[in-house]
Parts: sequence; C-alpha cells; structure tokens
Amino acid sequence: MSTVVPKPRKAFEDGPADEAQERLPIAGPAEVRRAFVRILADDRGRAVQVLVLYLLAAVFSTALPVLLGQVVDGIGAGWSVARINAVCSVLVGCVAVQFVLSRLGRRAGYRFGERAAAQLRERVVVRVLRLPLDRVERAGRGDLGTRTAADVNTVADLLRDHGPIVATSLIEVVVLYAAMFVIDPLLGLAALVTLVPLMLAARRYLRRASGAFVEQRAALSEAAETLSASGAGSQTVAALALQRRRRDLGYRRGEQVFGTFARVVVLQSEFFMVLLWLNRIQVALVLLVSGLWYFEGGLTVGAAAAAATIAVRISNPTNAVMTHLGEFQQGAAALARIEGVGLVESAPREAVPSGSDLRLDAVTFGYGDGPDVLHGLSLHPRPGERLVVVGPSGAGKSTIARLLAGIDRPRSGAATLGGVAVGDIGVEELRRRVVLVTQEHYVFTATLRDNLVLAAPEAGDATLLEALRRVDAGWALEAGLDVMLGDEHRRLSTAEAQQIALARVVVADPDVVILDEATAGIDPASAGRVETALAAALAGRTVIAIAHQLQAAASADRIAVVEAGRIAEEGSHAELLAAGGVYAGLWHAWRGE
Amino acid sequence: MPSPPRATTPLRLLTGLAGRHWRRVLLGSICFACAGATAMSQLWMIGKVIDDGLIARDGEAFARWIGIIACTAIVQGFLWSRGFRLFGTADARAQRSIVRRLTDRLNLAGTGIRGRVSAGELVNLPSEDSRRATRAIAETGFLLNNTAMFTTGVVLVWTIHPLLGVVIVAGSLLTALLAGPLLGRLQQRQSDYRAHIGHLTADAADIVGGLRVLRGIGGDVLFAERYRARSDALRDMGYQVANPSSWIHALRHSMPILFVAAITWTGAILAVRGDITIGGLASASSFATIFIAVSGNFLSSANFFVAAWVGAKRIARVLSVESDIADEGAATGATGTLRDGVSGLTVQVGALTVVVTAETAPAQEACERLARYRESDARWGDLPLADFALAEVRERIMLLTDEDYLFAESLRSTLRVDPDAALAAVEAACAADVYTGLGSDLDAQVAEGGRNLSGGQRQRLRLARALAAEPETLLAVEPTSAVDSHTESLIAERVAATRAEATTVVVTASPLWLAHADRVVWMVDGKVHAEGAHSDLLADPDYRRLASHLETA
Repeated sequence: MSTVVPKPRKAFEDGPADEAQERLPIAGPAEVRRAFVRILADDRGRAVQVLVLYLLAAVFSTALPVLLGQVVDGIGAGWSVARINAVCSVLVGCVAVQFVLSRLGRRAGYRFGERAAAQLRERVVVRVLRLPLDRVERAGRGDLGTRTAADVNTVADLLRDHGPIVATSLIEVVVLYAAMFVIDPLLGLAALVTLVPLMLAARRYLRRASGAFVEQRAALSEAAETLSASGAGSQTVAALALQRRRRDLGYRRGEQVFGTFARVVVLQSEFFMVLLWLNRIQVALVLLVSGLWYFEGGLTVGAAAAAATIAVRISNPTNAVMTHLGEFQQGAAALARIEGVGLVESAPREAVPSGSDLRLDAVTFGYGDGPDVLHGLSLHPRPGERLVVVGPSGAGKSTIARLLAGIDRPRSGAATLGGVAVGDIGVEELRRRVVLVTQEHYVFTATLRDNLVLAAPEAGDATLLEALRRVDAGWALEAGLDVMLGDEHRRLSTAEAQQIALARVVVADPDVVILDEATAGIDPASAGRVETALAAALAGRTVIAIAHQLQAAASADRIAVVEAGRIAEEGSHAELLAAGGVYAGLWHAWRGE
Repeated sequence: MPSPPRATTPLRLLTGLAGRHWRRVLLGSICFACAGATAMSQLWMIGKVIDDGLIARDGEAFARWIGIIACTAIVQGFLWSRGFRLFGTADARAQRSIVRRLTDRLNLAGTGIRGRVSAGELVNLPSEDSRRATRAIAETGFLLNNTAMFTTGVVLVWTIHPLLGVVIVAGSLLTALLAGPLLGRLQQRQSDYRAHIGHLTADAADIVGGLRVLRGIGGDVLFAERYRARSDALRDMGYQVANPSSWIHALRHSMPILFVAAITWTGAILAVRGDITIGGLASASSFATIFIAVSGNFLSSANFFVAAWVGAKRIARVLSVESDIADEGAATGATGTLRDGVSGLTVQVGALTVVVTAETAPAQEACERLARYRESDARWGDLPLADFALAEVRERIMLLTDEDYLFAESLRSTLRVDPDAALAAVEAACAADVYTGLGSDLDAQVAEGGRNLSGGQRQRLRLARALAAEPETLLAVEPTSAVDSHTESLIAERVAATRAEATTVVVTASPLWLAHADRVVWMVDGKVHAEGAHSDLLADPDYRRLASHLETA
C-alpha cells in the first residue's frame, strides 16, 4: 500500500488559502493624485460650478462682519436709526443671497459627489471582473473584497459628504482671511501668524495618527474575527471545553481595542488642545495688533470690531477642516488600494482554438517558488469520452484540473486546447468550450434563475427547469425559479449548492466539462444518482472527472491513476482490474474486499 | 428548557457602561463645563477690550484684557483637552467591556447562538455597533460642553442687554424647532439611501466571492450590468436626496447667520440709542458667531444618540441570548450504554460501532442527541441523559463532525496535549502532511477556520484533535469523507487500534471502516434497521449492496 505524499503547499488544491500570499499592488502617491485629478476632470463643468457657488456664498456671508464694522463706525459718526436699518437690511439681503447660493452649491456638490462615487464603484467592478484569476487567488479574496466594498465606500463618503464640507470650509477660511486683509493688510498678516504653528501641529498629528488609526482598525477587525470564530465554533468550544481559552483571547482583544482607542484619544486631545489655543491666540493677536494700530490712528474702532468678529469666526471652518483631515488621509489610502486593482498586469488572452481537443503534453508545474507538483505529465482526454482521474490526496489531481481549465500555466510542456495554449485563449471563448466545477461552489445572493443563467442569459425557464431535473434538485423545482438564494434569504446546504453548480454547467453546455470532486459533499446515495443523471445530461461532451473516491470510476470510458504528480496507470476499469496494479488495489480496498 | 432571556435593555447597557466610570465622567463633565464657560467669557472680554481699552484709550486696561484673554485661552484649551481625554478614555473602556461581555455571553450561550446570531452580526457587534453605542458616552461630554457654552453665553449676553438675550434664546429655539424636524426627515431619507449602499456593497462582495464562477462559467457581463444598473439607480436616488438635503443644509447653515444678522441689527439700534456700548455690540456679534457652531453641535449630538441607541439595541439583544441546552442535571458517575430513543441507536461500551447508512443527516442528528447538542429523551445507563451534569456529558462524550471549527492558534494549542501525544494523534489520523506542510513545527499557526489547510487536511486535523483528547466516548460523523481510500483504510486501522479500550461510534458509508468494526449498525431512514457483526449482516443483499459501494458504482 502506498503512503500519502506530503505536499508543501496543499492549500492551493481546493482554492488557495485566504491568508495573504501576494497582495495586490497599491498605487503610489502620484497615481493617487492623478486619480483625484481625473475624478475632478471627468465632471469638470460641475466641479467649477460647485467651486464658484461655494465661493460666492462665502463672500456674501463675510458681508456680516464687514457691515458690522461700518455700523460701528457709523454709530460713532452719528448715523440715524433709519440709516442703520437701511444698512442692516442690506445685511439681511446678503444672508438671503448667501442662503440661495449655498443651497445651489450644496446641491451641485452632492450631485458631483454622487456621480463621481457611482463612476468609481462601477469602474472598480469592471476591473475586478477582468483580473486574472490566478492573481486574485494568490492575493487572497479578502484583500479584493475589502477594496471593492470598504475602500469604495470610504472614497464615496469622502466625495459625497466630507469632501463638500472641507471644500466649503476651506473656501470660507480663504475668504475670511481675504476679508481680514481688505479691512487692513496689517491685521491680515497678524491673523496669518498662527497659520504656521497650525500647519506644523496638523502635520505632526497626521503623521502620528495615521499609524494609530490603522492599528485601531486592525484591533477592531481582530476583535470581530475572534468573536465570530467563537460564534462559528460554538459547538467546538463546548465540546473541547475551550471557554477559558476563548475568554482569555476575547479579553485580550478587548484590551487591544482599548489600547488603540486610548492612544487615538491621547493624540486627538493633544492636537485639539493646540487647535483651541491657536484659535483664541489668533483672536488675541488680532485684537492686540488692531489696538496698537488704532492707538497709532491707523484704524477705526469699527474696523477693529469687524476684525475681532472675523477672527472669532475663522475658528469654525478652520476646526472643520482640521477634524476632517483624518478622513482625507483615509480616503487617499483607500483610493490608493482601489487604483492598485487597475495596476495588476494581465497577459492578453487572444488565441483562438481550432476545435475542442484538450491535452496536457509533458507538463511540469509547481505553485509559486515551490517544488514541482507535476513531473512531465501527459494526459489526452479524447473528445466525447468520460475520463476519470483518481489517486490519493495530494497526488496533483486538482492541479491537472487547473492546468486544463487554463487557470495556471505549466512551467514546461504544454496545456493546449485546439492546438493553442489554454492560458492564451480569451476567457469568453474558453468558457464556451471548457468549464471547471470544483468543490468550492458559490451561490450568489440572487434569484435561482439568475444563479443558473450565468452562461446563457437568454435561456428560457424550460431549459433551466430541465437542468435542475437533471441534477436531481427536487427542492429547487419545488421552490421555483424566482426564489431568492443566499445566506440572508435561503441558505443552501453543501449538497444543494453543489446541485446548483452542476445545473449551471448543464445550462452552459460546454464541449468539455472538468469536475473536480464536484459531488464530494453529497450523500453517497444521492451522489450516485447525481453522477448518473449528469452523465446522461452531458452525453456527447468530453467529461474529465477527478475523484479521490471511486464512485464514478467503474462507469468511465477510461481511468487515469495519478500518483505523486505522474500518471501511474491508464485504461478502462476492466483493463486496470485485470492488470492488478495500483487501481486494482484501490478498488478492492474501496469495495471492502 | 432554556430559562427566559434576561432583560438587557439598551438603556441599561448604556447607563451601566457609563456608570462604571462615573468618577471619570464626572471629572470630565466639570472640565468640559468649565471649558465651555471660559470660552464664552472670552467673547465678553472682547467687548471689554474695545470699550475699556480702545474707546477709553486706556493702554493699561487694553493690555490687561488681552492678557486675560490669552491666559484663559490656555486654560480653556487645557480643560477641554482634559475633558476630551477623560470621556474618550471612558468610551474606550466601555468598548473594552462590550468586547468582554460579548465574549462571556458567547461562552455562556454556547450553541444557543446558532441560528439566532448571524456571522455578519458577530463581525459588526464588537466593531461598528460597539463603536456607535459607546459614542454616546463621549457625546454626553460634548453635549455638556455645548450646554455650558450656551448657558454662559445667554447669561453674558443678557448682561449686555436683556433684549439681546431674548433674541438669542428665541433665535436658538427657532433654529432648533425648524432644523430639528427637517433633520429628522433628512435622516429618514439618508437611512433609506444608506440601506441601498449596503445592498450595493453586498452585490460587489458577491461578485468578488463568486469571481471564479463568473469567470469560469460566465455571467460576468450579466453581473457587471446588474451592478451598473443598481449603482446608477443609487446615484439617481442620491440626486433625489440631494434636493431636499441641500435645502436643509443651506437652511441649517444660513439660519444661524440670519440670527447673527438679527443680533447685529438689534445691537446696532441699541447702541445708537446708547443702551449698549460699541464693545457690547462687538461681543454680541461674536457670541452669535459661536452660537452657530453650538447649535450645529446640538443637532449632531442628537444624531449620535440615535445611532448609539441602535447599536446598543443590537448588542443588548445578543447579550440576552441564552444557551439552548439546559444545565439543570446534577447526576454524575454515569455507567452503562447510551441510548437514543428516536433512532433506536445504542452505543456499546468499549467497542467500535460503525453506523452504516445512505443518509448521513439523520444519523448525525442521532449522534447530536447522544452528545447532548440537541435536547431529547436519550438515556445514559438508567437515567435520562438530561439528568446528568452537562460538564460530565461534555467531558466524557465527544462529538466529531465536519462542522467542528479550527481556531487560529498553533498546532500545539490545537491538539491541546504534550508533543508526544500530539504527534501520536497526528500519526493515527494520518495527518502527518499537515504537520510537515506547516514546516514540521508544532508552533506553526493554523489560520482561522483552518483556511491555510485543504479540506482533507482540515478533516484529518479535526480527527487528530478529537483523538488527542482521548474522550471516553467518541461519536464521529463521516470522519474520513474527504480522504482517499488508501488513507481512509489506514485511518480506520489506526483509530481502531488507538481506541481499542474506548467507546467509539463512526457514522460512515465507507466499507473500509467495517473491517475494523466490533459491531455494525445499519440505519435506514434515520432508524436502526439491523445490527450485528459485519459478516452476519452481509447475508442481506441490500446491506451487501450498500456496504460494498455497489449501490453507487
């Protein structure tokens, strides 16, 4: 009896592990800048419109302190109540204009952000669908998932909410400083003094906080992972009395959450303290300079009063910008990850096969930098035949399937379909001819119909129902094509999900079907029925079935036995039994003889 | 029967969390209140600078008031920052206690959470929900700070002139009355909109999750189209939200400015009549400017409290989940056979029983009843199983299924025994490739859920873990379904040898186990159909067909 051959990176066999092997690229600062500029340029007209409206609104709102100065000086000059009323009516008029402008600006800003966010997320999804599959699997699906979900939402929030707030605040700040200069250039300069320490404090805060925010998020997601593992493994916790260990781990996660949050609080409290100091020191400075200047006769009381009010007012938009700095930083980081998806290089796949003759010729293959898993293996399924590949776990059966399906390319030798390398054939062309079904059977959160029609959007209900009948999915026939599937709606068992996967193939109707342990999760009794039904459904097609158990072998046209990355034996069931080799041994063991 | 859920209400949760840190919260409140009062007095001092300094042309008074403003600015910043730190720390501590309480609850509820708390919820609870809920604590601080600013401001403006005080109070009330309901409506719209964002995010996740299917079989165009259509619909919905929300935002932004204009106007008339000073007018105008920020803060506090309530409600619900298995029995020291009434399955002590069946599900349920993961009238010796202390049942009877979980920890911690015993268990389960694959190191890490292992490796590692625990009774459901025949045969042989003296049940359809069985139970439709030695049962042609794979071959 042969022993199992250990394989160093077995994880690749049924879909690589989720752990990070080779993360997707992240765009550099220059690319992120370009991306921001592109977002603005894509909707140039509206961007300009938004800026102009915000600017005008800010200008009209500064009428308040400016007119206040006029009124103060007017009172000194002995204005009448009527004159005051007239000036103040202008004031209210300015506020009204500001109201209309800021409403229009807001609306345009929302629409700009909304459109940009939609464009961003749609572009990401299109890019994701074009990524080379082997690259995605090497990166781990979690990475891509975060980029398409959380990162896209972060940037969208920035475009829709935080962006407009910061833009309006920045414009307001600029206009207020300008107003200060208009009142008196000396006061403008006095107000600018605190800007330098403010910039320095902000830079220091951002540098320290960005790491702290990353740690904070990491601590939260680790706590989430630990708790959801405790939930998913509740029976195991009970069975192995792991309560103590889960408690210790959970408490440790709680401690990490506390530690990272406390650190952020300290950083923020320090920064905000400096911010508040600078707010009021600016007011004091402006008061001081305007007073000295007033004593020198360079300024009226009204101008001094107006300058003080402006200085008080600058703090509101300044603090709004400062408290949103973090969001900009996070948005830029998210955009860098999103743009990174577009940096994945994919070799052009344009070859066109002539015919559907699929073969492996003397292929060697290994994962990453690992050792060879296949050693000069050749396999030639004849068109229309049902070939079963059997062998012990770890022999390289699933690797054969991945090479045949064009997911991976051999290190040497050739995997060809219709005379051209499988990995060079365009995805759409390839999947019309070759379809691989693995143990990993994904069910989309969509109707049963949408889950089936993938390959043939025009397929009628009759075709779909027939496919379900073929794979013996009685439950699905009962539920109807409009039933919603997915965890929130109807959670499928492994067996049911497998039936869906198989029914998809029946609907797709390709020339070659590769089944990699495709019935492994179904009850032994049903597995037999499904295999038989599937064989009938796929009659005339080339079927390559990979199995570690022998259900399907006896009825196959030909059997290939793989051991340690090589074909050990090939032939029909009867021939191999008669040969008395590896297969015969397996068969007798399996039959319990 | 599980006891009725203990009432953990959102309010009790929040007050409990804050109450535990009452000293910190109290000190923080004092800091925030003083900071707010100081901030507002500075505005009053601006009037003093203008009146006593500038207009009176008094250099000394001018310098004094500027100096006081600068000093109080330092104190105010310091107090605010202290308050922020105290409340922020209380908030962080509250988050820590939420994670702890959830951890404890999961341990207490055990399998009771299955079907009641989804995996997605468990991800959100300690992160999003707890963040939202504890934000209520920090927000209370801000609310206090703003209230202090508001009250001090009103009092100081009142001292300038009562009419101005009236305008400020009336204006603030008007702002709150007008903006409050508008904000409520905006929130409603935005929460609908947020829900749609959630759906769209789920769609994107679906595309990534099923990427292999979409690329391998097709549907990428279909799903991309569907996503685009939904994304565009969301955009249009966003446009619609933009109309009312831009009105509301503009109103929110402009109302306080209008209010400043009203104060300035009133103040100007009072000043012209000589009722207030010029400095008083400048102060009043500055007060109104700061009230803009204060009224906005009141409204956003309200938003945070609503969000906190929602988060606290979710957490409170999970903290109320109870165990689905009652632990009311007290009996210990059970002897005799385990018997499941529903299926008729009995477990013979000290033997390897192989349960042969074409339908795994009902046999698994029978094992779950015998291991008390389902309540039933199963018996252990002379007494109902439920009469025994749960700890005794868990310690002496172990269930092994494919749903068992592999936690993120080292191989050593996974196997939970000394290295020799661990390696022996690995050997017995033919899991040597797991060990060598991880670098032949017991300290190598198994990823969460065993993600860095293949399906077959996970199954064998779970078996090794169960064998290492050496339970008196092991109920194993399809322990070798993902293993090839050669290896399966080896495992059957080794398990039979290692557990020669112990009680073992293996539910399987594989004949490879039968050769090692002391006793075979043949189950049909979830009921025991026949039992005896494998060789005796072979007399039945149906059994023979099932036990030699003829049915499926």
